[in-house]
Amino acid sequence: MTEPAITVRAFFERVRAGQLVAIRCESCGQLAIPPRELCPTCHARAWQPQSLAGDGTIASYTVIRVAPRSHAAEAPYAVAVVTLKEGVAVLGRIVDIPLGSLAIGMPVRFRPLVVSDQASIGFGPA
Amino acid sequence: MRRVAVIGVGVTKFGLHDRTSAELFAEAAADALTDAGIPASAVQALYYGNVVGGETEHQLHTGPQAASVLGIPSVPTTRFETACASSHAAFRHAVMEIAAGVSDVVMVGGAERVLNVTTAESTEYFAYASDAVWEQRLGLTFPGVFALIARAHMQKHGTTEAQMAAVAVKNHRHGALNPKAQFQKQITIEQVLKSAYVADPLKIFDCCPFSDGGAALVLASEEVARRHRKPVWVLGSAAASDWMLLGDKRDLSRVPATERAAAAAYRQAGLGPDDVDVVEVHDCFTIAEIVATEGLGFFEPGAGGRAAEEGRTSLGGEIPVNPSGGLKAKGHPIGATGAAQIAEIVTQLRGEAGPRQVDGARRGLTHTLGGNTATVLVSLFGRD
Ligand SMILES: [Zn+2]
Repeated sequence: MTEPAITVRAFFERVRAGQLVAIRCESCGQLAIPPRELCPTCHARAWQPQSLAGDGTIASYTVIRVAPRSHAAEAPYAVAVVTLKEGVAVLGRIVDIPLGSLAIGMPVRFRPLVVSDQASIGFGPA
Repeated sequence: MRRVAVIGVGVTKFGLHDRTSAELFAEAAADALTDAGIPASAVQALYYGNVVGGETEHQLHTGPQAASVLGIPSVPTTRFETACASSHAAFRHAVMEIAAGVSDVVMVGGAERVLNVTTAESTEYFAYASDAVWEQRLGLTFPGVFALIARAHMQKHGTTEAQMAAVAVKNHRHGALNPKAQFQKQITIEQVLKSAYVADPLKIFDCCPFSDGGAALVLASEEVARRHRKPVWVLGSAAASDWMLLGDKRDLSRVPATERAAAAAYRQAGLGPDDVDVVEVHDCFTIAEIVATEGLGFFEPGAGGRAAEEGRTSLGGEIPVNPSGGLKAKGHPIGATGAAQIAEIVTQLRGEAGPRQVDGARRGLTHTLGGNTATVLVSLFGRD
């Protein structure tokens, strides 16, 4: 048995504290967003946590106007796939950027987003 | 491996129904048995697609429930769940079971009921097909997933909102010829472009509706099928998956699972895109049809929007796509969709599609996509 480099719970505790972390394969160097048991590139089972700077650019975005029931009070809001400068990409909620000014390629910076005491990934102005 | 044929099809009207999903499936299944001309006692197994029954009907264990309501309670049955591709996954399993010689006659079906809950509720339940922690917490929706794909496709290839609108107009024009379709009414480009945004750049007329409905197929081995009037042969059936998280997908303008499933299905059939006469693709959103026609090899990556605008995918065009009206106009009861697409292709290859018939169609293809593009199934069909 191998202890995971970082669990989902631990990842989001770090997000709440303002830190974004990935995992790097000790065998081939592949960077990934947890959780991942085996490296998809070399299938090794040895990961080390690696801090990410939080700087990235928007790969795609949308403004959600018809929201799921549990997010209805927040609409409209934007979500974006952001490619971080280390090479991995994650979905995040756009915070403090006018919805009309969003564009693919726009630089953004990670910030924690806490709604109803649940931490998730936000991106604000770079 | 033995050859497998579809010998019976049944589909309910799609739209609002005051009936349970099991009732909707059973109507379609009884119609499929009548169409096949075989008794219910010949059915040796039932494979069933249903997705949000737990949420909208407080119903799990839908396989045996569907079998009981149909009236064949003792056959082995399993519910398949691959989001919107569920009954296509059930179909592939049935094909393999017959090909392997385990069964001779298998029923495949699916049904869904969602119009008994609000749009905010169904939007939430459909989003369960995305990752609960990483994506649902951010308020990602199903239209949101395809809006991200649309924006990436527009950026990379110059695809326009008018080209996406052309897909909606074409599928409504086809749906107007289908008496089972939820919407049997033509729309205009202007109506699509002026409709309200759901998730920019997708507007309400870029989105398929929420639907109730059921569909069923009777599959048989070659020996049984030879006694049937018009067997439609399964020439290939393949499934592929892709990363679950949107961030892990390398290029949001493509759907790699479509490309992989198509390559495998074409290889099984010994066919290529040029051999296909009629297609039903998963147009849950207009951009999804554009990306599907590219991934299936009918057009180069980036050329799908222009092809739709030029009418190349219309009835009468070089490769008619979604003669049924597609999910957009026919409707999208998610558990039933894969089986309903196959029912349309079987009807087309039999030459029984009436005013929406593709003349002389000999080879057909169905493409069904699950949720966030992490599941795709592609099957190929042919007649004697
Ligand atoms: Zn590795």
